[in-house]
Amino acid sequence: MEPEALAEHLNLTLEGLAIDHPVGTRVTNLTRLSGGANNETWRFTWHETPLILRRRPFSAESVENLDGNILGLSLVDEAHIIQLAAQTSVPVPHIYTVLETSHHLGESFVMAFIPGESIPQHWLNADAFSSARKGLAYECGAALAQTHTVDCSQLPQSIKPLTLAHRFDGIQRRLQTFGDVSPAMQFGLNWLIDHAPEDVPCVLLHGDFRTGNLLVNEQGLAGILDWELAHQGPPAEDLGYLCAHVWRFGNIEKPVGGFGEYADLLAGYRSIAGWAPDQESLKYWEVFAALNWGLVCQTMGALWHSGSGDIERAAVARRRSEAELDLIYLIDAWGTL
Amino acid sequence: MGNFVTERDDSTTATSVTSQQLLQAVKGFIAETVTPALSDRNQFNARVAANVIGIVQREQALGPALSALDNAAFSKWIPDGAPDQDVVPQISQAIAKRTIEPDTAFLDYLKQRQLLLSAINNPRYANRAAAAEKWRYLDTDAHSAADTR
Repeated sequence: MEPEALAEHLNLTLEGLAIDHPVGTRVTNLTRLSGGANNETWRFTWHETPLILRRRPFSAESVENLDGNILGLSLVDEAHIIQLAAQTSVPVPHIYTVLETSHHLGESFVMAFIPGESIPQHWLNADAFSSARKGLAYECGAALAQTHTVDCSQLPQSIKPLTLAHRFDGIQRRLQTFGDVSPAMQFGLNWLIDHAPEDVPCVLLHGDFRTGNLLVNEQGLAGILDWELAHQGPPAEDLGYLCAHVWRFGNIEKPVGGFGEYADLLAGYRSIAGWAPDQESLKYWEVFAALNWGLVCQTMGALWHSGSGDIERAAVARRRSEAELDLIYLIDAWGTL
Repeated sequence: MGNFVTERDDSTTATSVTSQQLLQAVKGFIAETVTPALSDRNQFNARVAANVIGIVQREQALGPALSALDNAAFSKWIPDGAPDQDVVPQISQAIAKRTIEPDTAFLDYLKQRQLLLSAINNPRYANRAAAAEKWRYLDTDAHSAADTR
């Protein structure tokens, strides 16, 4: 949809919402923020209020037979999750309206714009953010603990509890669907199956809680973005995911997202939950996250082969070897094969 | 292993241009001429394109070592396999069927494989240096490759 048409549909939609505006207000400053495999994100101003539109274009791409949640929740379900998270005091934007597929804008939602920096390279090393970085791991731990308190009976139907065995079956099928199973990926999956934790509780996970999805200001954590990979799983999964090598942006000596320490992340978690997973258990989920990143790289390759996307997708497919290196490195460090 | 960066031969008698030198010329053209002339997304994609040429160059140099490593692993762990077909999928299938014991010898093969693959695809990946240091006891072309980017 062209920006002009998008703005026109937004004008009609926003007039009915409880956002202060004089008669005749029009959408201004409409700017596309990012591309994703599925969703578009737009920033715009309505009178004096900066807002964000998340929408799934009608031409949204899909990869057939992809068993798993790699392409994410529907936007309606994502909005629902954000609203549930908001009730637990997790820093998320207020959602003004959720629109179904039948709407002129397509499936979408409009939310508040939270000021802050979302590009990790802008805040990971800049002096202006040094005090923000000091407390960030603790804040992330606390935010995850809050997310994990969401009552799972309130979740949309698409987010069902899944056993780890079921998820491993899904990963195995996906590896074979791509027809390009690498020795390291298969070795990593076998290892994860053999070392899976038993009797882990199942909670709502953000599912993509990484440095690139944090909104940071000079005081610290301002918001948590991109909830489309939310699912149910063990609490340590979200914590370990944030510590995966691939999300450290080169600062591998800072295990928590390239900016923090394990002890601070777990202390933040404990401050809300009253307990925290032990540090060693996070390592298992770092291996899991590495395998997951490898699958994302393969998905990008599959999308490119299907004729969708530009050279970046083809290049990202080659980044699977980073995930494979991490898998072997982490398994080697674990000590048991 | 072969050089990643092939320079022009500035002697006046050189006439032939290798495929490595052609790729280097294309990469230079993209980086120095095309990229600055573009904006936004296309400029980003042009940078990606220059990196992709680098992957191809490194694969030309290290691909034979990777194939040799995989063939040796295939002979060792899948003696009854089909050597006239792709060996890597057969290795992956054997891992999936758990007919290969996941011991330290096999892990060493995977370490060597990943050092080579990451030397081809992204030698600057941060964890690569840590892995290369820790696995320095392994005899592999990837170690010298890591120093030649």
